[in-house]
Amino acid sequence: MALAEATEPTGSIEAVKARGHWAGAWARFRANRLAFISLIFCGLLVITAIAAPWIAPYHFTETDPTARLAPIGADGHWLGTDMLGRDLFSRMIYGLRTALFVAFGAELASLVVAIVIGLSAGYIGGRVDQGLMGITDVMYAFPSYLFAIVLVTVMGRSLWAVMLAIGISSWVTQARLVRAQVLSVKEREYIEAARSMGASGTTISFRYILPNAVGPLLVTTSFAIPAAIGAEAGLALLGLGVQPPTPSWGSMISEGTSYILAAPHLLLFPAGMFALTLLAFTWVGDGVRDAFDANGESR
Amino acid sequence: MSFASYMAKRIVRMVLSLVAVSMITFTLLQMAPGNFADIQRISAGAAQFGGAGTEDMVHAFASRYGDDIPAWRQYLIFMKGAATWDFGPSYKYPTRDVQDIIAQGFPISATIALIAVAISLVIAIPIGMFAALRQNSPADHGTMFVITLGTALPNYLTGVILVVIFTLTFGILPSSGWSGPEHMVMPILALVLGPTAVLARYVRSSMLETLREEYVVAALAKGGRQSVVITRHALRNSLIPIVTVLGPLLASLMTGTVFVEALFRIPGLGLFFAQAAASRDMPLLMGTALFFALILMTMNLIVDLVYGYLDPRIRAAGGVSRWRSQKRLSRQAA
Repeated sequence: MALAEATEPTGSIEAVKARGHWAGAWARFRANRLAFISLIFCGLLVITAIAAPWIAPYHFTETDPTARLAPIGADGHWLGTDMLGRDLFSRMIYGLRTALFVAFGAELASLVVAIVIGLSAGYIGGRVDQGLMGITDVMYAFPSYLFAIVLVTVMGRSLWAVMLAIGISSWVTQARLVRAQVLSVKEREYIEAARSMGASGTTISFRYILPNAVGPLLVTTSFAIPAAIGAEAGLALLGLGVQPPTPSWGSMISEGTSYILAAPHLLLFPAGMFALTLLAFTWVGDGVRDAFDANGESR
Repeated sequence: MSFASYMAKRIVRMVLSLVAVSMITFTLLQMAPGNFADIQRISAGAAQFGGAGTEDMVHAFASRYGDDIPAWRQYLIFMKGAATWDFGPSYKYPTRDVQDIIAQGFPISATIALIAVAISLVIAIPIGMFAALRQNSPADHGTMFVITLGTALPNYLTGVILVVIFTLTFGILPSSGWSGPEHMVMPILALVLGPTAVLARYVRSSMLETLREEYVVAALAKGGRQSVVITRHALRNSLIPIVTVLGPLLASLMTGTVFVEALFRIPGLGLFFAQAAASRDMPLLMGTALFFALILMTMNLIVDLVYGYLDPRIRAAGGVSRWRSQKRLSRQAA
């Protein structure tokens, strides 16, 4: 890995030069042990989610009528089964898949929208800018959870609807961030130079302005992902998440609370896994923030 | 800008935002596949009224929001009522007006949220201060660790953990219902962790910043005792930015109660909102959404006013823009 080598303080001029903004951030991130371990854990979670059909021993709808509410370590179901005789371990893996699909999809969508709107508002200014500010003011007046609930109600409870609902209710903050970054560099000389050489507005926006916003955007996105995972489970908990039988940790937790006395493992495992996942993603977020905030002032 | 014209501007904007929120909600609900009657018919039997009863009930609404009345007129009818605080009867609870449901549910949600914020303030200020004074010590790292836990775990998960501890293991607290103080303990505890984390983080970074200020150094150099300097000079000033998070925090707690109320089956406004969304109860959903938005905006206005009052620099400069940008920052962080 060239990036990692470049961060070793060899003392030569080349090494010093190569240690740019990104390499420095990566070195700081790697030095943060908790964040680095969390990143590896999150990577494993992503791989598990992608490979769910091959890893999970059963499909999430497959019921075993002979083993309902089977305890931990039961025959063929090492984490037991739920009230319909479905394998808990398999359902947790598919629940992870739902959570990560929704969270990454929602944040990707909101990032794209935020970049396009933030760039155009900041760069074009005037009416476009005022329009955006108007929209964001309204969005701030509308508690984002409530907005997501209304959206899911409208669009139905498909995976895509939940993803969109969470994405739409979270793009505002990032659009504002992009806009602020644009405004802060818009009048610099190098932008002026690019313009005088005939670069188009799109080129200037994406090639010369946007890279300034990548760091702050990465920080907000890495915090937005655990928030989106939490939102997905929260909606499911209210009975407004993805349509069953598609598993979601939220609905598993909600089912688990009803069987809390008969089969506590139905609650403990999904809730524990959920908490661990949220923590890992949050620690990665913490690490990313500290890595980009070299002065450590806002920690 | 004079105070009166500033207030006037803010209030006009609040009204415009409320209208926008109502229009968005109404339009979205119109686009939604299936209306209240359809959903009741599907789940008929499970609901309190059968198919035939539903027909009758829907007819009873024809005068207010009937099928033959175009959507824009339904909206105007609703808004005309809303302007005079009359949202009309709910679909799901036809004998009750939405404003009565709000009047009944809101005090419950507000009680939980306010107690939770009060407790978090009491815990967070000393914790944040302590962590700042011993920056980078094990105690500081430990505090930050707990703060991360508080930020990462949503309140319903904390609630579940509390249920496991207090109901399942010890069996000392009821897991649902709302009739006595024993029902308040777990919901409030579930709500406390999140705001405590946010506030403690704020107190800590604000305190760290203040401790670097020259007047603190000067007070110490003058021979002021450390404890006096910290409480008199540093703490007082470092608490000012906290005011800016309190507003959004209270508001997010108000909406956060949706989950806690659903988990613990508390008949607060949040539970009504979630039920209204699930059953497509238009008047109740619109009414509660508008009410939540109103609370949120009022809270922000109060925060702006209090902040302007507390920080003389801002008052003198009349710099509305400056404290708005400050507030945005704090909101992003929250």
